[in-house]
Amino acid sequence: MPPKQTKGEYIETDTGNKVSRKSVILGSQNIILGGKTVIQADCTIRGDLRRTVAPGQHSGNVAIAVGRYCFLSRSSVLRPPGRTHQKTFSYYPMKIGDHVFVGEGSVVEAALIGSYVHIAKDCVIGKFAIIKDCVRIEEGTVIAPNTVIPSFSLVSGRPGVVIDELPETAQEGLELKNIYRMI
Amino acid sequence: MPPKPRTSEAVTKPPTILASSIVIAETAALTGTFPIKIGANTVIHPRAKLTSAHGPITIGEYCIICERTQISPPDAEGLVIGDGTVVEVNALVEGSVGAGSVVEVGNCKLGPLTKVLEGEVIEDNTVIFGSGQRRIDASGTMDARRRLLERHIESLRILIPSNPSKFMN
Repeated sequence: MPPKQTKGEYIETDTGNKVSRKSVILGSQNIILGGKTVIQADCTIRGDLRRTVAPGQHSGNVAIAVGRYCFLSRSSVLRPPGRTHQKTFSYYPMKIGDHVFVGEGSVVEAALIGSYVHIAKDCVIGKFAIIKDCVRIEEGTVIAPNTVIPSFSLVSGRPGVVIDELPETAQEGLELKNIYRMI
Repeated sequence: MPPKPRTSEAVTKPPTILASSIVIAETAALTGTFPIKIGANTVIHPRAKLTSAHGPITIGEYCIICERTQISPPDAEGLVIGDGTVVEVNALVEGSVGAGSVVEVGNCKLGPLTKVLEGEVIEDNTVIFGSGQRRIDASGTMDARRRLLERHIESLRILIPSNPSKFMN
């Protein structure tokens, strides 16, 4: 009898997303993956924390939107930010651009992450942070809630501050097409 | 990757005392042998791990325990998390005062990735931030924050499907 065929670690969707079987994805109906995104094992995505609105009101039901060629490493967490506004608490949608790398064990609660952003491992991106395009965030950085990081920055420290500018050619180094092909 | 061998400890179902108004996700993990007590209006997110293998766990009222947190008392004296505590994502709690990653009854706030060492006692209203800096919060906004927390719990009540019966015994 031939040995039982082992299942691959990743499930590949029609649009080329590679999602690990060991990832924890909650509320998948509220998550949009742009395609060619890799989600590694143990990665947690909280799509169930969507906007809460009064009954009868129309709510956009997207909690997390991720662009193309993103890479979510092992044990990373994506979680929409929440706050109390006009006496009601609600979570707000989180948007992530293309070619975004999230390192191992990082927790992301940003409102917006642009394209070509590299978040190294063990970072914490605070609630409602906005990170523009072409940003590199170094290992162990803690970005405070509501921070806005401009384009072409190198960010480090606790709290994370811009310590240097990236060169205009940085975008090439931040492309993730090659990593996608490796998986 | 080969599957990790399951420890026998993880299978034991601990005795639980759960208040009726709690919200606990089905995929939360309550394991161990000592009792776990959870107060009213507390929210346990999916994949939170409460391990009472070495001592009992007591969680107060109006707490939020987020996903991927690990709460495990180191000895038989157990661990108490006071009322109104938020334990944020990825926090590891072994101390007895309810030092989570956010606010506790004594009204402390621990920033992300900060560490409190073994045997340390943190006074009320302390804020630990950055790489270990500390200050005393004298703003007196405790009541306001408590109200925000109650609203937060109300909205989580809608979002998180609760299944306390799974953990009852």
